[in-house]
Amino acid sequence: MRFRAKIVDLACLSHFSRIINTIAKLAKTCILRLTVCKLYFIVSDKVANGGASLWCELSQGNFFDEFQMEGVAAEHNEIYLEFVPENLSRALKTAQSAKAVKIKLTNKHCPCLRVAVELPSLSSSSRIVTHDIPVGVIPRRMWNDFREPSVPDFDVSIYLPVLKTMKSVVERMKNLSNFIVIEANLSGEMNLKIETDLVSVTTHFKDLGNPPWASEDGCQSSAQCRDLESMAEACIDIKKLQQLLAGQQVNPTKALCNIVRKRIVHFILLHEEVSLQYFIPAIA
Amino acid sequence: MKCVIGGAQLRVFGRAIHAIARISDEFWFDPVEKGSVLPVFRCVNVLERNVEKCSISTSPSEHHITFQLLCRHGVVKTYNLTFQECDPLQAVFAKHMCPNILKVHSRLLADVMIHFPTSQEEITLSVTPMKVCFKSYTEEDTDFSRTMLTEIQLSPEEFDYFQVGVDSEVTFCLKELRGLLAFSEATSVPVSIHFDRCGKPIAFSIEDLLLEASFILATLCEAEKEAASPEPACCPQPWDSSRTGMDKSDQASMDGASNAATAAPKKPQQKGNTPSMDPAKPPSASAKQEVKNIPRGTERDVPGRAGAATAEAAGGEATEAPYAKFHSLFFGAVSYKEKEAIGDTFQSLVTASDTEEELGALQSSPVL
Repeated sequence: MRFRAKIVDLACLSHFSRIINTIAKLAKTCILRLTVCKLYFIVSDKVANGGASLWCELSQGNFFDEFQMEGVAAEHNEIYLEFVPENLSRALKTAQSAKAVKIKLTNKHCPCLRVAVELPSLSSSSRIVTHDIPVGVIPRRMWNDFREPSVPDFDVSIYLPVLKTMKSVVERMKNLSNFIVIEANLSGEMNLKIETDLVSVTTHFKDLGNPPWASEDGCQSSAQCRDLESMAEACIDIKKLQQLLAGQQVNPTKALCNIVRKRIVHFILLHEEVSLQYFIPAIA
Repeated sequence: MKCVIGGAQLRVFGRAIHAIARISDEFWFDPVEKGSVLPVFRCVNVLERNVEKCSISTSPSEHHITFQLLCRHGVVKTYNLTFQECDPLQAVFAKHMCPNILKVHSRLLADVMIHFPTSQEEITLSVTPMKVCFKSYTEEDTDFSRTMLTEIQLSPEEFDYFQVGVDSEVTFCLKELRGLLAFSEATSVPVSIHFDRCGKPIAFSIEDLLLEASFILATLCEAEKEAASPEPACCPQPWDSSRTGMDKSDQASMDGASNAATAAPKKPQQKGNTPSMDPAKPPSASAKQEVKNIPRGTERDVPGRAGAATAEAAGGEATEAPYAKFHSLFFGAVSYKEKEAIGDTFQSLVTASDTEEELGALQSSPVL
């Protein structure tokens, strides 16, 4: 099992760091899945994460100048590692002016991702900062736990409002309540609602637009039968939503959510080079 | 004692207090003082803007030290803090005898330390004539599967002055050093690092025309593998624990000698620094003020490890804190008149700390 990669371009490094920062805000530990072409950041819906799960994938070619990996076996040419994204985020934070960043899988005292940052210095030789981030190697028999979640059979799919606006609304609501209701309909309307003993607050968004979903029979059958005005709602942990929004440092190309009433809210955030899906289960 | 600090220097003084506050809740401020001084200088930027002068004085009868901030528009803020007199301590540490000396701009040190998490307690500095390396401290029972380790390698060329007489690897407390780093960045003077092998203290000092500051940190001894005794295994640089027999009557002369409360004892201002106790004594702005942290136990229970400075100075505390680390901070105001008189040999004064001291309650009565 081998892995080594190198980033030289500062813009790529900055983008990659931002992705890691986003992940670090969403989960304490995370699975990194490496294949020949892609990297995946996976958080499965264990109880530890409050039932929320994450699937983020990116093409290595868009970020790395060099990328070599050898999986556990020829027919299973993949590597699954468990790590703390905050560590990687911290290692990359001070690397923003680096000449090069190399990441390598090593095994000195224990399996580690070694991040070596070559920084410019006043002298002729560079400064080298090395961070050893401990990782856990996930054995092949457990790989099935980390398969890509399928898109749920949703009631409503709708584009999100401008994330910055949504974030500031949710942050204020977070001060008042632990839970938030997201509801939306097929006419491009979304409401964010909180309700406590003292106060209830609702923020209305409209003209958001509903993404067209193509499937074999031409449309999501349950969605077609729906009345366009009728709202599908789910009550979720507001902290999870706030973390997701807070982690978005750059506006995605596309941002939408799929609501399965009273069951789950599925967020999809698409950037040019990376896609992120976040599932927040509804509170019963 | 009575002294006055002018506006611009107040910023430096305030930052000095901040640096000291990172180490200890108390500090020695000749005359000795207890209670928290930090709130007086809490917001340094505001201080700079509003305060024209700071006057520090003691009242002979009560145990009060008074900080008076004379601000703009006639506003006067007065803080009365209690203090207890006690004998000052001083580290016995001859910088010029250290085989390893590095001199570097504080900016570089800050750039190095930024790669370590703020929670990083200890850091190891490893030098050979070819390279310098700062790394997270690890010991035998470190759980590597849970700890992220960071290491920075620098070339000797990055240092303004680089002298490595002996290959060494010293481990000291980073958290407290950060106080000095923040302070030195504000004053932007180069930082000198004097050290030896592990177990001997390491000194970080900054010096410019107006002030001199030294942090002397203990470094970890390499434990003897077999030794399980709580005695410090090897502490080649013991503190001199002789008492000088200084008593209250000498306090006056100490007062006189240590009017260097100001960080900027420009000669013309010295006439304001006449000690209240002994007007005949010429104001001397060059005494070193001692600032010392009360030794405290480390979190680790590894036997046989102790900072170099704990050896004798622990004295009465050997039983209570055998693994204590000493951290001292000296602030001295330097006057050209007396500069020659200051050799590198420190007068060794009382070293054992007064364990019977109680933390005095803070009495601050700001008068607005």
